[in-house]
Amino acid sequence: MNENKVVAMLLAGGQGSRLKALTKKVAKPAVPFGGKYRIIDFALSNAANSGISDIGILTQYKPYLLNTHIGIGSSWDYDRNTGGLRILPPFTSEDGGRWYTGTANAIYENIDYLDETDPEYVLILSGDHIYKMDYNELLSFHLEKESDVTIAVMEVPWEEASRFGIVNIDDSNKIVEFDEKPEVPKNNMASMGIYMFSWAKLREYLILDYEDQSSEHDFGKNVLPRMLNEGNAMYAWNFKGYWKDVGTVRSYWEANMDLLDDEATLNLYGRDWRIFTRNRNLPPHYMARGSVINNSLVNEGCYIIGEVNNSIIFSEVTIKKDAKVNNSVIHPKCVIEEGAEVNNAVVAEGVVIKAGDKIGQVDDGKIYLISEEGIMIE
Amino acid sequence: MEKCIGLISTNNIDNRFGPLCKHRPPYMLPIGGRYRLIDFAISNLVNHGISTVAVYTGEKIRSTMDHLGNGKPWDLNRRFNGLFLFPPVLDERYKNPYSDIAQYHSTEAFFNQGKEKYILIMHPNILSKVNISEAFKFFKESGADATLVYNRRFDPFGEYINLDKMHIDKEGNLIDIGLNLGTEKTFNHYMDMLFVKKEVFMEIIKESIEIGDANYFKEALLARKHLYKINGYESKGHVEVIRDLRTYYEANLNLLKRDISSELFFEGGTIYTKSKDEPSTLYSESSSVQNSLIANGCIIEGQVEGSIIFRGVKIGKNAIIKNSIVMQKSVVEDGAIIVNSILDKYSRIHKGASIAGSSLVPYVVEKYGHVTKD
Repeated sequence: MNENKVVAMLLAGGQGSRLKALTKKVAKPAVPFGGKYRIIDFALSNAANSGISDIGILTQYKPYLLNTHIGIGSSWDYDRNTGGLRILPPFTSEDGGRWYTGTANAIYENIDYLDETDPEYVLILSGDHIYKMDYNELLSFHLEKESDVTIAVMEVPWEEASRFGIVNIDDSNKIVEFDEKPEVPKNNMASMGIYMFSWAKLREYLILDYEDQSSEHDFGKNVLPRMLNEGNAMYAWNFKGYWKDVGTVRSYWEANMDLLDDEATLNLYGRDWRIFTRNRNLPPHYMARGSVINNSLVNEGCYIIGEVNNSIIFSEVTIKKDAKVNNSVIHPKCVIEEGAEVNNAVVAEGVVIKAGDKIGQVDDGKIYLISEEGIMIE
Repeated sequence: MEKCIGLISTNNIDNRFGPLCKHRPPYMLPIGGRYRLIDFAISNLVNHGISTVAVYTGEKIRSTMDHLGNGKPWDLNRRFNGLFLFPPVLDERYKNPYSDIAQYHSTEAFFNQGKEKYILIMHPNILSKVNISEAFKFFKESGADATLVYNRRFDPFGEYINLDKMHIDKEGNLIDIGLNLGTEKTFNHYMDMLFVKKEVFMEIIKESIEIGDANYFKEALLARKHLYKINGYESKGHVEVIRDLRTYYEANLNLLKRDISSELFFEGGTIYTKSKDEPSTLYSESSSVQNSLIANGCIIEGQVEGSIIFRGVKIGKNAIIKNSIVMQKSVVEDGAIIVNSILDKYSRIHKGASIAGSSLVPYVVEKYGHVTKD
């Protein structure tokens, strides 16, 4: 990628308030996912696997755990002499301190970083999506179309199209219209929030947008529509593969469950596109005599004596004798005590389910979020 | 503990591990689902604050170089101190160039340059979470020139014959070290681990090389035991002595016992090793796993009992694995049966094939080995 230098800017400052108690202490990108990862690992690993050597991480909401997790980026080989990973929090300057007020504003505030790394292209990524993507394919398409900005889109089911930002295109994939959550969609191509910009063009529009008092400084709402109105070359690149935006507790639970489904999922086991994460140095898990396990993922350091069905078990979880876990996501260091039963639940880190307690029914169609704050039903 | 060098001496062990050590030194044997034997020694040193670690690698060191690298998993990639690897240098000047004493002498500069005043020598094939901080404190407070670490071993059935037997007087001072022939039910087992003052260490090595009276540091030290104050420190934890195929196999299966695994894996700090970035292990509907340690990155569809399964292993439907060790990236195809066996890395047991060893002599499949039906 040396001749076409790309810098990735990863937006990781969002709260993700619809994930409720899961984001009480951490930003959404730092929420645990898939047995051993945090959500941001997917975008970071995609960038590392795509050979992008410079990446800026924009943080804002409760960044402590995210900063600890990322460190200097060594898990993703971003601890480099040239380039590498930079964490970019909001800062103060001569005219006082400012929070990032929108996605475009966060990038605007870091124009200095981009000027210094001097890329030809800037890739805007979101830290809260679950997918595997080779960004080189997006770049090739961007180059082939001589585009100013190329947006990754994917086909969503027609009946769900009205929940997404829909991108209307012509035969050559040129974007003709943005349709934000349309009641009657003309198309089922949804924007994935992944944008490849030519840096000169992006720089120009970031400044224009900053000067526009009426703007909310958001890529989807302001910058991209304005660029389209002013006749820039904008294309949609059609991504085919698994992608999920884990917005709500239910979609978070579903995306985890997808990992147990042979058809609708990411292949985490391929060695050519590994998902990297911070190494916890834990021993293998132990399955005791009498344990029962079906269709589940189990991570390191667990001790399982009870029964586990269709569930994702994170590290250092203890499931005691006669306890049952069905269709659930159990975060690290939880204990499910003797005889307790957990159904259709997301159990937050470190929670102890007391002996004999029963949560949910196998087929009640509800999702239970269990945290220090109690039980929330969705 | 900045004052102490951790020195890992790896020779002085017979190679009685059969095909498992055809391409690797004994201290690089895989153990416990994701580790190598040497991880326990290095991690224990690091967890007790020792940040200068020297490894005398011995031969067949490709896997050593790949595994230890610059010492990053142990935080030993340091600007000051860190990990030092000393591959063997065969210098004809020495009477026995292979001896540990010659190897130590050939790295004299390393000892002269370091600011540390003390040396802790340990052997990676003796697996134990010795409380190094406490032992070090004992060594310093006792004012000894050397402190040898031993454990009291109860051995009514003579399983530990031919191990070093250490004799100490009532004050805890060393009398001598001999060979255990099983005449007593309980004996003091010398764990091949000692603290020594650096100046004493250097003095003994130089003198012994000049006189030519010893091949091994232990011999040289014992020959001069009247000249120095040498005492013993009793370590109380669990000890595995991995000296042949049977003890290697047993040490692995012993980790299925909760008290042993929690001591060796967790007490005094966790064990660090090279990360493989494997995802969680996936169990299918048809899987059944009892009394086993399972590492990450496996896909398990068959039955596993009383076994240790390393990272990235695939076990097919209706396959049965019992009392066995299955190393990294091995594949056990549908319907294969494996009992009392050790599968080295990347081996493959084809559909319907079966292998079995005895609990004393496990069947070993070599690295990249294939076993087919008939």
